[in-house]
Amino acid sequence: MGEVIVVTSGKGGVGKTTTTANLGMGLASHGKKVCLVDADIGLRNLDVVLGLENRIVFDIVDVTSGVCRIRQALIKDKRCEGLHLLPAAQTKDKTAVNPDQMKELCEELRKEFDYVIIDCPAGIEQGFKNAIAGADKAIVVTTPEVSAVRDADRIIGLLEAAELREPKLIINRYRPKMVNRGDMMSIDDMNEILAIDLLGVVPEDEQVVVTTNKGETVVRDEKSQSGQAYRNITRRILGENVPLMNLEEQSGLFSALRKMIGLK
Amino acid sequence: MTKETLFNSTASNPSPGSFPVELEGLVDENTVLVQRTLRSGQSIYHDGNVVILGDVNPGAEVVASGNIIVMGSLRGVVHAGAKGDTNAIILAFRLRPTQLRIGNHITRPPEDESSDPDYPELARIKNGVVTIETFNSVIR
Repeated sequence: MGEVIVVTSGKGGVGKTTTTANLGMGLASHGKKVCLVDADIGLRNLDVVLGLENRIVFDIVDVTSGVCRIRQALIKDKRCEGLHLLPAAQTKDKTAVNPDQMKELCEELRKEFDYVIIDCPAGIEQGFKNAIAGADKAIVVTTPEVSAVRDADRIIGLLEAAELREPKLIINRYRPKMVNRGDMMSIDDMNEILAIDLLGVVPEDEQVVVTTNKGETVVRDEKSQSGQAYRNITRRILGENVPLMNLEEQSGLFSALRKMIGLK
Repeated sequence: MTKETLFNSTASNPSPGSFPVELEGLVDENTVLVQRTLRSGQSIYHDGNVVILGDVNPGAEVVASGNIIVMGSLRGVVHAGAKGDTNAIILAFRLRPTQLRIGNHITRPPEDESSDPDYPELARIKNGVVTIETFNSVIR
């Protein structure tokens, strides 16, 4: 029986979809069978981020309303064996699915897959309730902004009320230089308020935008720091004990030179 | 907590004078104990005293007709003496409220954020003004 994990945040634009795509790809490249579920009905993105938009025939609403079987709606990833996507519907809205249907869907999917990762929509309404209905674990994504942390706090409260205990935190778009200058919330600042286990910190990285726009995932980019962060998070989900990586590392000519002569 | 148990505990104490005089008003049978952190969007409304064993995060709200004690960081909105009791107090291990209300007084912390003390503080109305004092000094 697989594990159903919901990726949520409350606030929009903090990187739920990017995180879902990268964790899915990361887990699949470890040989796991992974199904990504886009629960953001009406504003579907996950297929675009994965570059699978042109393969969609059926969607999640077709499955829950009995138009097709799950198998027919699942899309196999073009690069990675083991990664599947259940796309959201674009022409319907959040009320097209109810929490009971989602629960049933998750139960079906967990029989087939090692990991079912649900991309939750922003907000705390019906879409959120649908997305968490069938999950047994939750990952909360936030960015080092007061508003995002506030929403994350609200979401953690709602998750606890829904009996989804011990959610894990991913801090996205972290900029160590700004933190050092005192212009951005530090990991400790966020920990003090949210007080939940930290699953990982993903630094701000242009490469995320570059890969996402091409329908690729940064987790497969061996060189980028954010890719490394996602690979570490993947290994932590798999139960390995991976220390937080050093985000201070300079990525300039100077440090490259130092590395070359072995000073590092 | 009932009145009786409180009286018992003072009776067993050889020097009842060590109990801070200012907190005598806290003796009340109508007190709730909240054993968790209040997160954004969560709230407690209670006709009596409220004791919170945890933090009150920004966006959370505690309203009590009596006193409010937070055994943690208080960062949200609190209203003690919500029915007009100007003798109500608010006590927190780290008092950093978004807004603090006692009776019909509404205050907010100064904008400059120069002080960030790491010890318990107590808010109450003195001479018609909400004052914040170090809790240790009250006990002494």
